[in-house]
Amino acid sequence: MPPVVGFVARRLGRAVLTLWFATTITFLLLRLLPGNPALAVATPNMTPQTQAILLRQYGLDEPLLVQYGKYLWQLVQGNLGVSITQSVPVTDVLLERLPWTLLLTGSSLLVTVAVGIPLGVLAATRPSGLLDRLVQVGGVVGQSVFVPSVAIALLFLFGLQLRWLPIGGAYSPGVYGGQWYLDVAAHLVLPCVSLVLVQLGSYVLTLRATLIDSLGEDYCVLATAKGLPHRKVVWKHALRNALLPTTTLVGLQLGFLVGGAVLTETVFAYPGIGRGIYEAVTQLDYPVLQGAFVLLAATVVLANVVTDLAYGLLDPRVRTQ
Amino acid sequence: MRLRLPLVAVTALAAVVATAACSPSAPSDSAAQGGDKNATLTIATTTDVVNFNPLLGNSRTDGWITNLMYPRLLTIDANGAKQSYLAADRGYSDPTTGFYELRGDMKWSDGTAVSAADVAYTINTIMTKKPAGNVVYGQLANVESASAPTATRVELKLKRPDATVVDEVGFWMNVVPKHVFEKAPDAGTFANNSDWVSAGPFRLTTVAKGQSYTLERVTPYPMAPAGTPNVAKVVYRVYPDVNTEILALRNGDVDLIANALPPAQVKTLQSTPGVKVQEVPGLGYAHMTYNMTRKPLDNLKVRQALAHAVDYEAIRSVVLQGQAVTTGSSPIPPVLKDFVKPDLKEYAFDPELARKLVTESGVGTLRPLTMIYSLQDAVTSQWAQLVKDNAAQAGITIELQGMDRNTYLAKTAAGEYDIYAGNFAIMDDPATNMALTFLPDGAINYTKVDDPALSALITKATATTDKAAQKDLIWQAATLVHDNVYDNVMYMQNLYVAHSDKWDGFVVKPSELLSVVDPQSLANARKVG
Repeated sequence: MPPVVGFVARRLGRAVLTLWFATTITFLLLRLLPGNPALAVATPNMTPQTQAILLRQYGLDEPLLVQYGKYLWQLVQGNLGVSITQSVPVTDVLLERLPWTLLLTGSSLLVTVAVGIPLGVLAATRPSGLLDRLVQVGGVVGQSVFVPSVAIALLFLFGLQLRWLPIGGAYSPGVYGGQWYLDVAAHLVLPCVSLVLVQLGSYVLTLRATLIDSLGEDYCVLATAKGLPHRKVVWKHALRNALLPTTTLVGLQLGFLVGGAVLTETVFAYPGIGRGIYEAVTQLDYPVLQGAFVLLAATVVLANVVTDLAYGLLDPRVRTQ
Repeated sequence: MRLRLPLVAVTALAAVVATAACSPSAPSDSAAQGGDKNATLTIATTTDVVNFNPLLGNSRTDGWITNLMYPRLLTIDANGAKQSYLAADRGYSDPTTGFYELRGDMKWSDGTAVSAADVAYTINTIMTKKPAGNVVYGQLANVESASAPTATRVELKLKRPDATVVDEVGFWMNVVPKHVFEKAPDAGTFANNSDWVSAGPFRLTTVAKGQSYTLERVTPYPMAPAGTPNVAKVVYRVYPDVNTEILALRNGDVDLIANALPPAQVKTLQSTPGVKVQEVPGLGYAHMTYNMTRKPLDNLKVRQALAHAVDYEAIRSVVLQGQAVTTGSSPIPPVLKDFVKPDLKEYAFDPELARKLVTESGVGTLRPLTMIYSLQDAVTSQWAQLVKDNAAQAGITIELQGMDRNTYLAKTAAGEYDIYAGNFAIMDDPATNMALTFLPDGAINYTKVDDPALSALITKATATTDKAAQKDLIWQAATLVHDNVYDNVMYMQNLYVAHSDKWDGFVVKPSELLSVVDPQSLANARKVG
């Protein structure tokens, strides 16, 4: 078997195994939660008999293994089931919300990286300077603040006092055509900034620390000794190595961001998947929760597989390891 | 590294493209062009719509939106009395036959007349399909079937005399269009998420899930001035966080906040320029129940001791900031004036008396008692601490167990508590609600009380159609509950909603469900500024 085929097969096999594991854990964890969907939607006059009928309707009265088998069989057929509370396919529920989460998390990640890297470089190249001190303090503060506090402060200042930006939602009702895109952009600014503010610190501080280390390495000293301009030593030699931990952070944050934007989405009334998950947890809507977690797991696994495969294609050492 | 950053960029770009694909198209007929009659009323809510099928309704916002399209047979006035809505008349032609006589001037927005067949279909569908979350199903326990002998008359064949069913079903049930719902494969799970028809003042036209719900005016609507609702559009916007919602009102993004304001925000908004705060009578109450299946709570003296170890006035003035009234420790909320027994007095806060009662109970040293409540209920979470501190003054130890809603519901269902703390949202009919709360098989009998004398009174009250006799029975039952501490009702919270001072004409009805967003209220609301 050619090494490339083996490499691809191994990566794909690992991805499928990871997905199966995530799916199974999700399935079991949900059933360990207290209560059940019938209790979550029960009205004051719903008798235990009616609740039992509901559980039967949802197939939740069957043995766990049978439920699991049916769920897996549905899943391999691409069927995520039907929402218990909304009576619509889970795929529809998730696809309504996913684009907004991708837009919010994708743009916040881009801005964070775009701002964080230059800021980290500037701090590392002027250690103990004013900017470096500001970055260190700001980085720690940014990591410590509670997202909703930042969000409400931003809304109060830019939404209510200055009235520069809208309060809540992804766009205004009744706006169409080209104006709609501008409206979406305006609604995106504050939630994006609030996410950037709370995650920027970790990127800047990580990059600053690793870049200071790299600049002290022999190859950087040698490059400087050879007369290379400092800018070139920093941006072309030291930064490449220093970026590796930051890259790892980006990968780790991707999964966290998609599901973890729930607080931001709640305060800014942003209709993303994080809020959808929160609502589904409240209602114990198992199919929606299972579907959402499968989708999130698949997103993260897929991103990693694509990256691994691309690395493998470009770097022969990875393929043969 | 060279690839990972571009990958992120591509992902973000894909997200932008995907979002762009969601760009909505402009509707062909735009109603809102400016001017009072063409104004849009934007209403804020904290919860999203879960389901558009009123047979299934789950969230508060579901109810507000479906109420605007699917009429109820009866409504309720400011004093909590049932009034005609779709039904012009109702009653009992004999002890086991109830009836509604419909007004004949209401139509669905597609031109089909609203008829008795729609009502009978709705009732029979609820009975056969038992839809999840349907509040009416339990009220139909004594109904054998519903029929429509004429276009405007609905008859309910009862299994046994039941004086509550006509009013309760009339008030709680949204009538759905038979000609639409019977085409669905299963009306009990029908999502009803497009092509809505409405017999109310507004019809849902556009949905942006998680964000906004746009309804447009329906004419004619007989309960509106001159048969036409004042506003062209009603838009519900979802703000899950109440602080954001308030900022949106102050900013002018929304005109009305539909959900009840947290007590702490009421005073601030009362003094905010451009904002009017409207009081809405509550129809429910906050209470603690003592699980009588667990010793020593089966001992009356212990329950009395617990009842006298709570400073109710402090709870109302500190936690509720004065926005609540006493019920006299009675399970009948003051708004139901016809049924309130005036001589029932609130249990006095008296730690010394509580100590004495514990001693007299003969149970010896009182073991620590657990009290469960939902952490999602901010008000209860606050007063729970006061209850614990008050009880400590009487030498009684209460262990607080605040928990997430689903755990709370599971523990409640399993009876795993000594003290249950929570709220009863709407008590519109004393007999029905006492049956649910105090009969041995009552679904919310959290005290686990099984008192034959009380059960007999409640059963009689639910069966008698003589209002005076029913009132007397309710009074006797309320006295038994009060004297035996079968329920410890702490207060009835008055609700407050806020709206822009550029709007008026709202009609206030009790409870958060109706409040100022009832169909008749929104049909009469008008822009004045």
